[in-house]
Amino acid sequence: MPAGPDTLEDMKYAIEAEGLVKRYGDKSALDGVDLAARSGSVLGVLGPNGAGKTTAVRVLATLARPDAGRALVGGYDVTRQAAKVRELIGLTGQYASVDEKLTGTQNLLLIGRLLGLSRPAARARAKELLARFGLEEAADRAASGYSGGMRRRLDLAVSLVSRPRILFLDEPTTGLDPHARGELWDVVRELTADGVTVLLTTQYLEEADQLADDLLVIDRGRVAASGTPAELKALAGGHRLDVRPLRAADLEKAETILGAKAADGVVSVPVHDLSAPPALLRDLDDAGIVLAEHALRLPSLDDVFLTLTGDHR
Amino acid sequence: MTTALSQGLTLAWRSLIPLKNHPGQLFGLLFQPVFMIVIFVYLFGGAAGGDRAGAVAYMLPGVLVQVALMSTITTGMNLATDIGNGVFDRFRTMPIARSAPLAGRILADLLTLLITIVMSMVVGYAVGFRVTTGPLSALAGLGLVLLLAMALSWGSAWIGLVAKSVTSMQGMATAVLLPLTFGSSAFVPATDMPGWLSWWMGVNPVSHLAGALRGLLTGGLHPSDVWITLGWTAALLVLFAPLALRAYNRRVR
Repeated sequence: MPAGPDTLEDMKYAIEAEGLVKRYGDKSALDGVDLAARSGSVLGVLGPNGAGKTTAVRVLATLARPDAGRALVGGYDVTRQAAKVRELIGLTGQYASVDEKLTGTQNLLLIGRLLGLSRPAARARAKELLARFGLEEAADRAASGYSGGMRRRLDLAVSLVSRPRILFLDEPTTGLDPHARGELWDVVRELTADGVTVLLTTQYLEEADQLADDLLVIDRGRVAASGTPAELKALAGGHRLDVRPLRAADLEKAETILGAKAADGVVSVPVHDLSAPPALLRDLDDAGIVLAEHALRLPSLDDVFLTLTGDHR
Repeated sequence: MTTALSQGLTLAWRSLIPLKNHPGQLFGLLFQPVFMIVIFVYLFGGAAGGDRAGAVAYMLPGVLVQVALMSTITTGMNLATDIGNGVFDRFRTMPIARSAPLAGRILADLLTLLITIVMSMVVGYAVGFRVTTGPLSALAGLGLVLLLAMALSWGSAWIGLVAKSVTSMQGMATAVLLPLTFGSSAFVPATDMPGWLSWWMGVNPVSHLAGALRGLLTGGLHPSDVWITLGWTAALLVLFAPLALRAYNRRVR
């Protein structure tokens, strides 16, 4: 085990984990997860609810101890060198963990003072972050009166007081409106421009597509796939053919002919050869299946998700 | 060690900010003692015989004890709240002393209790209560109350750390504290009670605390009350501090 890196920027991977297992009772939340986030990149962790995303973040952020496997964050072991890891990381969870009775400024001052900043330094840092997150007007109001988006921004600001080099964002935009979501994306882009490594979990494929350099799809505690967004899209095939039989009774026949399962009345198949669809449509026609719609389209991450997790969303 | 201390103080400061933000909450702290004084001194005290000065002298120490014991519930409640809304997890991902959030919480709640006690004494003076012993003796009495409250805060913290939610925490703590305070000689002497109740009031540590405080504020102290209270304080600490720390470390892992 290495004693620790010289600087984080010299390391290839800011976050590395091997064979992480975490059980709660007889249920495995993580069942052997490997992951790696390149320094200065955004690793998107995608998965349906209950896939183990939050558990993975909790293990990496030193909040939960893995039952097996090991993880290095910034080169430090999350179980044996948790104190070192904590000096490097910031965490913004799914539920904004700010003290609602405190004002925005007071929340930021509290964290600054806990981190050992002097009173003036903590005040200056609070002011800087409030300005950066557009919270100046709300600075002296109790956080209990903040909107969901403001609270999430304050939560993120609080996570940044220590200038973390590695940031965990656990479903940071869940429950936010599109405008607030866009603002948060901008902040993440600014952070990566500063060289911060971000691990972001999300249920939104669009978010992963927008922000992540690399993706990991997990399902039921296991890694279902990993790679760049482009690689994963290639996994789902190039183009896809979607057909919707007019009569529900034909669905099963269409499934047999196309060799894929239907979801919501639509059978969707990857198309590897663009000359194939006309032949497939002819086969359907020969079988007497009338189509209500059919379309040839480029794949989205939704298809990757569907292919890998079988989650019919 | 000094950083752990300053972190604990910072977290205690954090817990007192709401009082600073909303000084009106001070009236919230005062509500219970004033309510109790009015009920016991004017309502029950009046019905019992009309010696208002005597009633105030007997009741006020009891009210202080009751307020102190009930205030310990907030330690566990605030911990349960911090755990529930993620603030606790935030502290745990930070490079700070593991014990700081717990120590800060208990310190803040003792300071709040001190403020409440001082204000209750002021109210007591307004309705005719007088310390008849001396300032040192009175301070010793109030210190004894704070000490037992601190020991109980550990019990409250333990419940708060293992409780499933804030409401279940509140229910559990109230179920323990109400029979302790009302089944004591804090408000009524044990003399006219049926045998079993009189026996219970005799062994109930709250009776001894109320007796000790009464003696230290207005004279007639039985030193045994002080020793028994100190003994209970030590016993509660020995029992609850390790339990709370164990539950806390489990959460902190």
